Amino acid sequence: MKKILVFTQIREEKVEENALGLINKLLEVFKDAEITAALFGQQLKDDWIQELGKHGVKKVYAIEAPELEVYLSRPYVKTMLEIIKEIQPIMVIASGMVYGEDLIPRLAVHHGVSCAQRVVDFTLDGEDILFHTPVRDDQAMIVSKIKGEIKFATSRTGAFFINENPTGGSPEIASIDISFNPEDMIVSHVEIKEAERTVNLKDAKVIVAGGRGVGGKDNFQIIREIAELLGGEIGATRACTDVHWIEETYEIGQTGQSVSPDLYIGAGISGAPQHMSGIKAKTVIAINTDEGAPIFNYADYGIVGDMHAILPILKKKLEG
Amino acid sequence: MKIVVFIQQIVSTQVKLQGVDYFDTSRVSEDDLVINPSGKNAIEGALKLKDGHGAEVTAVCVRGLKPEKALREAIAMGCDNAIAVKDDSFYTDDPLLLAEIYVKILEKIGEYDLVFLGVEEQSTSSFAVAAMLAEKLNLPSVLYAEEIEVKDDVLRVGHVLEGGRKIVDMPKKGLISCSDSQHFTPRYTSMRGILTAKRAEIPTWTATDLGLAANDVGKEATSLIQVSLSNIVIEKESYIIKEGEPEEMVDKLLAKMKEDEVKLGA
Repeated sequence: MKKILVFTQIREEKVEENALGLINKLLEVFKDAEITAALFGQQLKDDWIQELGKHGVKKVYAIEAPELEVYLSRPYVKTMLEIIKEIQPIMVIASGMVYGEDLIPRLAVHHGVSCAQRVVDFTLDGEDILFHTPVRDDQAMIVSKIKGEIKFATSRTGAFFINENPTGGSPEIASIDISFNPEDMIVSHVEIKEAERTVNLKDAKVIVAGGRGVGGKDNFQIIREIAELLGGEIGATRACTDVHWIEETYEIGQTGQSVSPDLYIGAGISGAPQHMSGIKAKTVIAINTDEGAPIFNYADYGIVGDMHAILPILKKKLEG
Repeated sequence: MKIVVFIQQIVSTQVKLQGVDYFDTSRVSEDDLVINPSGKNAIEGALKLKDGHGAEVTAVCVRGLKPEKALREAIAMGCDNAIAVKDDSFYTDDPLLLAEIYVKILEKIGEYDLVFLGVEEQSTSSFAVAAMLAEKLNLPSVLYAEEIEVKDDVLRVGHVLEGGRKIVDMPKKGLISCSDSQHFTPRYTSMRGILTAKRAEIPTWTATDLGLAANDVGKEATSLIQVSLSNIVIEKESYIIKEGEPEEMVDKLLAKMKEDEVKLGA
């Protein structure tokens, strides 16, 4: 049976959601393939392995080693290469989180082939797998295929939906013998600074978010006020949390929280894929001075104008 | 410390290109050819190290119609040397082939300590080049860097991580890709820099100079075959208000939402 190897990660003590979405999509497209997952760490919980099984993974390479405690390119590449050698999959894929994007191209190099990146769809053309990738801030779509026995790809964060009612069973657990030398650990881990998650935006029905266009810390006040009037939460792009205009906990997007509100208002946000991939909203309102900003492609409603002029008026109308 | 920074010249994403001539840079004005934003972050990363610890920074531009323009800007920002690399046979839409060209450039440059790149090559949204290059050269590497600090004989690098930031130590010989964090916000060019850039001699290397044949890094060598390229047409019906006084625009928005029975509020 054809095998697909999916690199999976743990985030906030759970199997990372994008990997589960990706697995769901793979099962849908490759009906005759068996999904194998790779999960590395120092102490892996059985819950995580069972969760993968529930979502349709037949076999999990659960590899535990102190060197694999956190992601580091060399030990992870080495371990993945061993698994690939053992199972000879038709495809090796990871959701395009930071680690996946670090890992997959390296594995491809070792097989002398290129890789598809930030894929948002797979289709089949006879024997060929077609990879769909948006480029240039989502202005265009490239469809490509890859030569070689094993295809390497990353998928885009937020591209695929998780199966809400998975019916898979308990997966087979597999292991391999692997050892590491000092050269493998030449880049060494110091620490992980987790962003404080004091606010959970996941369940918010309304989110008013600000981007680079907010222009400063104090200007978030008006965003707060509108969010409050609408009974919602505030959000921000990484550009804002990066310069400490607002606490990291409010970051939405690939490196922040994923949200699915009924209403999302984006003010002074250009709409880069890194931010928008974290949003699945029923209604999107965009306010931006740049008519060409990608956020208008996502918007149901929009105002091409300066948020600093628009928001105070909006606030007044909402109060009135 | 010798640092090599790889940049590209792209058509500004502010320019909306149409149809299949998407990457046909010959149809845009020279003003719209810019350094890829991510490459500028990489230049800034290298220059920060130069400011604090002394370094010789060489900018190299492979992609682009007028690489000299991009490289003069790099010099105006503070880079010491610049090399344009151009050959019609290069197929740079494939990150693996681009990485292979970079390998040859570094071989020709000879001595270097650090290689800097941006995280993304905007024209093809390729995130893979840095990882592929590091792997080909077997260089210690950190991708998506957000800050770099020199700490005794190592570089302490913080990099982007979903839900936070990871800090690692790496040797001073290696490869780093720079994110668009505040730490790498590109500096403006100085008057003095612009004058230096004007006078700078920028050599152009071709495939032959790098010992590359067309079938090494040309289209026939690619393993990533482009089947189609099309504009993304958004089918979403949207109501965008483009003109009017702020108050008028807000009124229009609220009226339309009311008409559509879209609730504003939780």
